[in-house]
Amino acid sequence: MTESSDLLRIENLDTGYAGVPVVRDLNLYVAKGEVVALLGPNGAGKSTTLLTISGLIPILSGSIFALGEEVDSRNPHLMARRGLAHVAEDRSLFFNLTVNENLKLGLRPDKTGMEAGLERALEMLPALRPLVNRRAGLLSGGEQQMLAVARALVSRPKLLLVDEMSLGLAPIIVEQLLPIVRDIADQTETGVLIVEQHVNLALNVADRGYVMNHGELVMEGSAEELLERQDLLEASYLGGELEGEG
Amino acid sequence: MSVLLETKDLTVTFGGLNANNHVDLKVDSGSFVGLIGPNGAGKTTFIDAITGFVPTSAGSATFGGQDLSELKPHQRAQLGLVRTFQSLELFEDLSVRDNLLVAAYPTRWYTLLQDIFYVKQKKNDVEEKVDWALEVAGIAHQADILPTDLPHGQRKLVGVARALAAQPNLVLLDEPAAGLDTAESNSLGTHLRDLLKHDITVFLIDHDMGLVLSVCDYIYVMDFGKIIAEGTPSEIRTNPEVISAYLGEEAGEIQARSAEELRDMTIEGNE
Amino acid sequence: MDVLFGAFAGLGAGAVFAILGVGLVVAYRGSGVINFAHGAVAAYTAFTWDELRNTTHGAYVKDDGGSIFLPWFDPIPEWGFLKALHINNLPVEIYIMNDPPVWLAALLSLAMAAFIGFLMHIMVFRPLRNAPLLAKVIGSVGVMLYLQSVANLNFGGANRADNGFWEFTSTNEPIRNFLGMDRNLAGSTLYLAVAALIIGTATWALYRFTRFGLATRAADENEKGATLLGYSPQLLAGLNWVISSVLAGAIGILFIHRAGPPTFILFVVPALAAALVGSLTSIMGALAGGFGIGMIASMGVNATSYDWWPEWLPSDGVRTFAPVLVMILVLYFRGDRLPIRGTVGVGRQPRAPFAKHPLVGLGIGIGIVVLMSNIFTANWESTLTTTLLSIMFMLSLTVLVGFLGQISLVQWSLAGFACWTLIRLSADGTKIRAMDFLAIDGPGWPDPLAALAAIIAAVILGVLISIPALRIRGVQLAVVTLAAVVAIEDLLLRNEPLMGAGAATTNPTPDPNWFGVEVGALDEKTFRTDYWKYTIFALIFVAIGGLIVANLRRGILGRRFLAIRSNERAAAAAGVDVARTKMIGFGVSSLLAGMAGILVAYKVPVITSEYFNPFVGLGFLAFVYLGGITTVWGAIFGGLLAAGGIISEFGSLHFEGITQAYINAVGAIGLVINAIVTNGEGVALMLTNRSKEMTGVMRGTSSSPNEVSGSIDANTQEVS
Repeated sequence: MTESSDLLRIENLDTGYAGVPVVRDLNLYVAKGEVVALLGPNGAGKSTTLLTISGLIPILSGSIFALGEEVDSRNPHLMARRGLAHVAEDRSLFFNLTVNENLKLGLRPDKTGMEAGLERALEMLPALRPLVNRRAGLLSGGEQQMLAVARALVSRPKLLLVDEMSLGLAPIIVEQLLPIVRDIADQTETGVLIVEQHVNLALNVADRGYVMNHGELVMEGSAEELLERQDLLEASYLGGELEGEG
Repeated sequence: MSVLLETKDLTVTFGGLNANNHVDLKVDSGSFVGLIGPNGAGKTTFIDAITGFVPTSAGSATFGGQDLSELKPHQRAQLGLVRTFQSLELFEDLSVRDNLLVAAYPTRWYTLLQDIFYVKQKKNDVEEKVDWALEVAGIAHQADILPTDLPHGQRKLVGVARALAAQPNLVLLDEPAAGLDTAESNSLGTHLRDLLKHDITVFLIDHDMGLVLSVCDYIYVMDFGKIIAEGTPSEIRTNPEVISAYLGEEAGEIQARSAEELRDMTIEGNE
Repeated sequence: MDVLFGAFAGLGAGAVFAILGVGLVVAYRGSGVINFAHGAVAAYTAFTWDELRNTTHGAYVKDDGGSIFLPWFDPIPEWGFLKALHINNLPVEIYIMNDPPVWLAALLSLAMAAFIGFLMHIMVFRPLRNAPLLAKVIGSVGVMLYLQSVANLNFGGANRADNGFWEFTSTNEPIRNFLGMDRNLAGSTLYLAVAALIIGTATWALYRFTRFGLATRAADENEKGATLLGYSPQLLAGLNWVISSVLAGAIGILFIHRAGPPTFILFVVPALAAALVGSLTSIMGALAGGFGIGMIASMGVNATSYDWWPEWLPSDGVRTFAPVLVMILVLYFRGDRLPIRGTVGVGRQPRAPFAKHPLVGLGIGIGIVVLMSNIFTANWESTLTTTLLSIMFMLSLTVLVGFLGQISLVQWSLAGFACWTLIRLSADGTKIRAMDFLAIDGPGWPDPLAALAAIIAAVILGVLISIPALRIRGVQLAVVTLAAVVAIEDLLLRNEPLMGAGAATTNPTPDPNWFGVEVGALDEKTFRTDYWKYTIFALIFVAIGGLIVANLRRGILGRRFLAIRSNERAAAAAGVDVARTKMIGFGVSSLLAGMAGILVAYKVPVITSEYFNPFVGLGFLAFVYLGGITTVWGAIFGGLLAAGGIISEFGSLHFEGITQAYINAVGAIGLVINAIVTNGEGVALMLTNRSKEMTGVMRGTSSSPNEVSGSIDANTQEVS
């Protein structure tokens, strides 16, 4: 654990809604250039964790250090200015704006080379290029997801959170999108935290993984280690009735 | 056993996409049927379509032999086809008991006069139904507090109890176990199983495979709006399509062909 | 050709509606608030302008002009002992210079508008950003009443006749024989239209082409998405409030030569219609809608001068009904029957506990009123009956707004409709009192029968109004019903062919005799008002109303009302027929409003339709909200607090210099604070000390079930 290079460090985090913790005692870190997968069945608290990192949900106890500073849920918009990008589960696109306008909003005005960021995002997701003047609401599900990812990339984030990229998408599209995350981490030293329901696929691109269930961490380890323990993975997804399977 | 709910070719379209794609599904009276599938598969849309909250674009649904297509949501509920909501949607300003009473009292033309002159109701069968529903859901001791004052798990149970209050023929449960921990989820399962003894047929949607596999007699599996598998729990448990829908193995295999060799090997070994 | 001229003549008014509509869209996109105070901002700015310019004093001369008045009043009166303490009063007036040039006056006026916009954001709408809809509506209604009262205090009650400036003056040469139509078009009309087009297009361009505009549109559509990309929705909201207010101020200054500042307050109604044409989000749509409404209304008014036009459709009614018609058409065809997923359950509704022993409360109340009636002098007896009347009416709001959650602003007009119907039905063509100016034709029904028929008429009208409400919900209902208030006044109340000779001017009220008892407020022999029999009559009405409301809350329907208020989707899923239940709620509320209308008719000897203008109705809503919108006790407190009620009269009696405007301003502030702090549960529930419980529940939650049973699966383990 090379503390100094950690882009994100979560310590003993409790978080949830209306004072009721959904996530309990979570410890997690993401280092530079690393892809980390956060796994677990629905309702495990994965999305809640990401939203808390972005400052959209207040911390109940514990702490989150992201990009060198403690997360402040009173001013969540400052997180993006520090270099955090978050592809939300609902994609949070602006359907009435064009693809180009959506991407422009991702650019940080205080950075130089704005156009370069735009260009780089389109290079990574060339399928978007012919669609730049189309309204985001008219894109297909896969195209919308690409746009959400591209919009996160144009700001050239130091830390990228991706929530359920594969949600509602055909496997063939997921297969195209996930490796992009790997490329970003490799090329720009961006730290990436992905929440994913396609476990194997996620571990395939990730360096390390965490598995949550019912709000608590139940497994962690390198991607290889987790893939070897397929039985445990299945157990945590299919309700932990391992004995039942004989 | 007679068929209580039946859909034929039921299709729901949102903006050109089929959220439910030609769904054929049957629920027999007195059975406990489950519908599972990954997030975004179209399970809630299915309940919405059955209960009249979204329009269907093709296909039909019948309940007890009656065609549902022309009926409004409250009329379907009055027929004995009730649902719960994933996001609870309780009446937060009403006590737990009042939440149930809203659903339990039938509509009469003289209700207004009865209310204005405060004709005191005797302890009638409506109140008894409500007591029973509170009992079944295991929240009888919390009947007089506001739902907002209850912990999340108990609020889930209020939603279930409200659906039961009118003693429906069929209750459609939309993820009652989401957000519950394992113990709560197990205890919910036992409560739900009891419903069958009271002639209430149950249709359960949930992500919690443990719960679904342990309480259902028959299970449908949905992915991308289509029914991809159906069968008894033991059949479903070993069905490779189901496992792949949940763990994304199919996608993983496609990925395996294209990308890095080293990681491929770890996948190959899995069933 | 003549019809077409009507359309052109409407360009001037259309310009105002258009720019006000654009301003409403800007504020709505920035913060999701429909600002009922938008016209009042224009009014305050126009007053500021006129005060600075001081070109004509009109009837009212405060000083030599050249000053600006900050949008508040001095709360510290110059009473003897406070004066002696040398407490520095809050500065209100700032002297600038005598006869400032146009550019300076315009700049300062627009700065005032911007300042008001900023204050509205910081003091009212930012704190209310997560509040339920009702609190937001009440907040903006409170701001409207506040600005109206403060303008009254700072600029005097009188209207101003300002000649305007540049080409925007009333002395501008008219365009003779306009386009060969043989009619003269007012000189400033085309200038106004062009100015509005330029302002509107510039605003559109601002939002279309700048990064700020892009961010606003983005945050409007998806606040979470904008936050995640680093934009602060609250900062954007604040900027948009300022822009919205400056737009209102600008058109106020441009149009001041045609309409006095107080008139602007109600221009918010056609402006809201214009904004709805643009779906509350399209600037160009609002611009077009504003012009369209101005032109259609003008064409309609033009048409009323023809011989074939039916006499029972007065021209004022046509003018004010045009926006209502546009709104209903737009909303009815765009509205959905049930709200879509995720749009319900914003913010917490005020709680509505029910009285366990309403009869006990009733007994105590009757005792107090009878006691007061015996002690009070005639003046105070009048105050007492005003209070009872207010309570009677507020009960109708308790049912409709408090229980059912339908923010309808039209109920006071229904009281007016009942009042007018009663007058017409009980009249028999002879003068009622020696002092009456005129006699009204009518069937001369006996008083109880006429009253019953009037109440039924109010119920029928109320249920009719509820039909569009089945598809129009939330704040849009408030918008439409506000427009309906204006339309009902012009179309039904001031309609002399329909309502009798006195309807538009002074309507002599009947001298009621119920089964041999004189129950009117005027004692014919002594000419003293508020004869005690009326007090008892009013008390019986209020008691019946209070029992109806209390019983309803305890019964089956009361629960259904609250269920619908809480969540229409879930109510439908629980087997509640939402449409039918809503109609019943509107009906019961209209019944109570109709009863209040009867009390009005029996209280005052003559009455004008002014009595039922929108501000009176909004004032009632404001004060019942202050008292507590969800309980019978809230209506009672509201009645005591409201203008003319016992508490406010007590205030004006014992603190000299306190005028009605002060009371209204203080009431409006109280209202806004109440919306922010107690969420509309009001004084009534605060006194029962339940608020503490509520805050306790919100802060510390009962222990999570997860903590109790939290052990994780035995089969899983940590790998690392």
